Amino acid sequence: MTLASAARLGVDPHRDLTDYDPEADLMVLNMGPQHPSTHGVFRVKLYLDGETIVRAVPYVGYLHRGVEKLLEELTFVQATPIVDKNDYVSPMTNEQAINMAFEALLEVEVPRRARYMRTLFAEMSRISSHLLWLATFGIDMGGALGGGTTLFLHCFRERESILDLFELVTGARFHYNTHTIGGNRHDIPAGWAKRVHQALDLIASRVDEYLDLSTKNAIFVARTRGVGTLPAKLALELGITGPILRASGVDHDLRRDAPFHAYDEIDVKVQTEQAGDCLARAHVRIRELSESIRLSKLLVDGLPEGPICGGRPIKNPTQFKAKDGQAYVALETPRGELGTYVIGGGGNKGASPYRLKIRPPSLHALAAMPYLLVGGTISDAVVILGSLDPIMGEADR
Amino acid sequence: MNAIHPIVLHGLIYGGAIATVLLTLTAWGIWFERKFAGRMQSRLGPTLVGWVGLLQPLADAAKLLQKEDLIPDQADRTLYLASPPLTVFFTLATVAVIPFSVDVAVANLPIGVLWILALGGLMVFPVWTAGWASANKYALLGGMRAVAQGISYEIPMVLSALVPVIFAGSMDVNEIVTWQAEHHWLVLGPGLFAFVIFFVSSLAEANRIPFDIPEAESELVAGVTTEYSGMRFGLFYMAEYLHTLVASAVASALFLGGWNGLFGLADGIHWMLAKTLALFFMITWVRWSLVRFRSDQLMRLCWIYLVPMSLALVMVSALWVYYEPMLGGH
Amino acid sequence: MLKAEAYRALLESDFGVQEFSDKTPPCIEASEHHRLAATLKERGYTLYGFVAATHMPAVKGAADALELAGHYEVATGLRCPTEGSHIAIWRVRLGLDEELRTLVDLFVGADWQEREQYDLVGVRFADHPDLRRLMLPEDWEGHPLHRDYPIDTPHPPWR
Repeated sequence: MTLASAARLGVDPHRDLTDYDPEADLMVLNMGPQHPSTHGVFRVKLYLDGETIVRAVPYVGYLHRGVEKLLEELTFVQATPIVDKNDYVSPMTNEQAINMAFEALLEVEVPRRARYMRTLFAEMSRISSHLLWLATFGIDMGGALGGGTTLFLHCFRERESILDLFELVTGARFHYNTHTIGGNRHDIPAGWAKRVHQALDLIASRVDEYLDLSTKNAIFVARTRGVGTLPAKLALELGITGPILRASGVDHDLRRDAPFHAYDEIDVKVQTEQAGDCLARAHVRIRELSESIRLSKLLVDGLPEGPICGGRPIKNPTQFKAKDGQAYVALETPRGELGTYVIGGGGNKGASPYRLKIRPPSLHALAAMPYLLVGGTISDAVVILGSLDPIMGEADR
Repeated sequence: MNAIHPIVLHGLIYGGAIATVLLTLTAWGIWFERKFAGRMQSRLGPTLVGWVGLLQPLADAAKLLQKEDLIPDQADRTLYLASPPLTVFFTLATVAVIPFSVDVAVANLPIGVLWILALGGLMVFPVWTAGWASANKYALLGGMRAVAQGISYEIPMVLSALVPVIFAGSMDVNEIVTWQAEHHWLVLGPGLFAFVIFFVSSLAEANRIPFDIPEAESELVAGVTTEYSGMRFGLFYMAEYLHTLVASAVASALFLGGWNGLFGLADGIHWMLAKTLALFFMITWVRWSLVRFRSDQLMRLCWIYLVPMSLALVMVSALWVYYEPMLGGH
Repeated sequence: MLKAEAYRALLESDFGVQEFSDKTPPCIEASEHHRLAATLKERGYTLYGFVAATHMPAVKGAADALELAGHYEVATGLRCPTEGSHIAIWRVRLGLDEELRTLVDLFVGADWQEREQYDLVGVRFADHPDLRRLMLPEDWEGHPLHRDYPIDTPHPPWR
């Protein structure tokens, strides 16, 4: 639905019906916050006429943990493990985002090896995030007891190989706490590059299998084609970025257009589709997965030698201080533009940020829900929510 | 003993035996499905309880039996309590007319096929009442979808089941099997399309993926069975697998030649079991490979594709049977 | 970059900004907020970026009236998605009881983002169609990201 048709139909998204008459033909069905399919704690109140959704009112905030307030109490050095838990599906990009913001604020240089390593980790994180997305999308469509589970377990099998690689570097499968101000804390062990190639070759060989179970499967295509079409203009106004925007035809990718870290030295082929429906988003994400495999191989082969951290080694949580200054740094996560706006000069004599605002791409994507759900059925609602790939940890913080 | 009519005695003994065997097969069918699903997904399936997990169904039953007996406050008690046993009842009752071997059948009714189809139609009711009686919107939606799907797919099922009836000239299932033993299996000849349509419609009637919209877990929590727990849920669960087995048995009898053996090998119950299990295997395979249809796509498939095709098939079979002797057929 | 210079020139010529610094985004008058957003949208900055509000508590003996009384600082960013993506960021300073004109009529995404800033920081947006809490429950009292809201404030039954 476009903005114009929303206005014409009187669809006022995000607003509950105040004059709801239970005797009328509308049934209120509450999806969530506990639901097998809402990708985390997310609630959407559906007003149904039969099986057709007439109005959808999303409610967020069930996973709000006060991260921004907490980070005002903690110092710059202590922020990384907290921010890991925002977008818990691709933690490397969260850490990268916050440390890049702090480095812009504190004016700390990142050495070349660390930039390459960060980019490599981000790309591998992108692969693992898109694999997880495909897995959960299969479950949404085929149920936890059915063909969707087969796709789910196959994708997770591959994802385990990437998590094992991360474990070899950082010691953790998830929530790595490996980025720091000025670079990284853990260096790559010997023989890691070979294992990366093995894992990536394995995933590349299995991409065809995923395509068979998903975009080449007639029922999958029937469930996703023409469902949840998001016009480009609405996406831009909502602030949606990432694969969703690219699937609606807008050729925008921060890795190519505003390159940061090692992206200015490698060429990113941006994948777009024109249709803007769920199938287009699926295509974009699977192609991005293949593209990330190619980029990761390039990066791991071209890793330069040198120090991995440009700041001083951490001896003291308050060792980095900023008296003032503001910085906004954005990077491209698997979900879109993750921006961090930080104001220096906070407590602990300037060792804490004064204000830290995280711009989560998932929250902007969820704001599209009312426009996309109206006119569809509940089955479509589940598929659309899956295709928007929201991570509530990031949306609510 | 002489107060009990021999037919009733025959029915009780054979019925009891067949029901027992079928229910046991259902329990171990569940084990097989879980093992098979595991292997398809690079994992092992049940392994802990008994050798290769063979006692898993017993463990499941024990677990379900010891759960709290919850009835929602606003539920319609009678319907809520009656629905689970009724699903099993109607499914088991269907088995009465299926011949497992030349003279192993509970009752050789002359209207056997009609009995099967009628009970198949009745099977939609307990699912629907379960959904309505649960006082839960998800269950209600699941029940409505089940009714829509159930009554729609009955039509191609009935029409495609008519094809063996037309060829054999009788609704007695044993006579259909005998006809196939004398001539050829229906699936190997003109009955192939009818078999396919019957198979697909049975999948839809049994609410199996890709037609499991009424219990679509990711959309409707647990669909019709949302408010059921413990052994009541166990009964629904068992009814689903039982229905699958029974549908396989019916399809084997009507299209695959029942107890008739291949290549002139000895007829017997082992052939019937083998064919039933083969179809069960195929249904399981389909379930763990495909994602589900949306309800309107499901309806489309039924009304726009299957119903006209099955109508055409009935007419073609009738014409075939009429003209075949004149063309000097087999 | 070309875009950054064009942005700076626009601010200098049309919005009367004199001071530019590398460390902080340029600051404009609160009344010009909506006009700047509309101008930028016409010039191709169609991707809604972010809005971040901060509460600056009263500073004793400050020269500036707003700093003396305590004020809100709202930073807004709009991005241009065409080649050479540039994000235009600006700040606005508001008194504690002033309202900032909403951008919802230009960018639908501002709806939730401004609601979140109202919820957490307390800054109000004029002409917003439905300014209510987003993250916190409807009956929460106080705005947590206020500088004088202690982090461990109890709030039964939630905390």
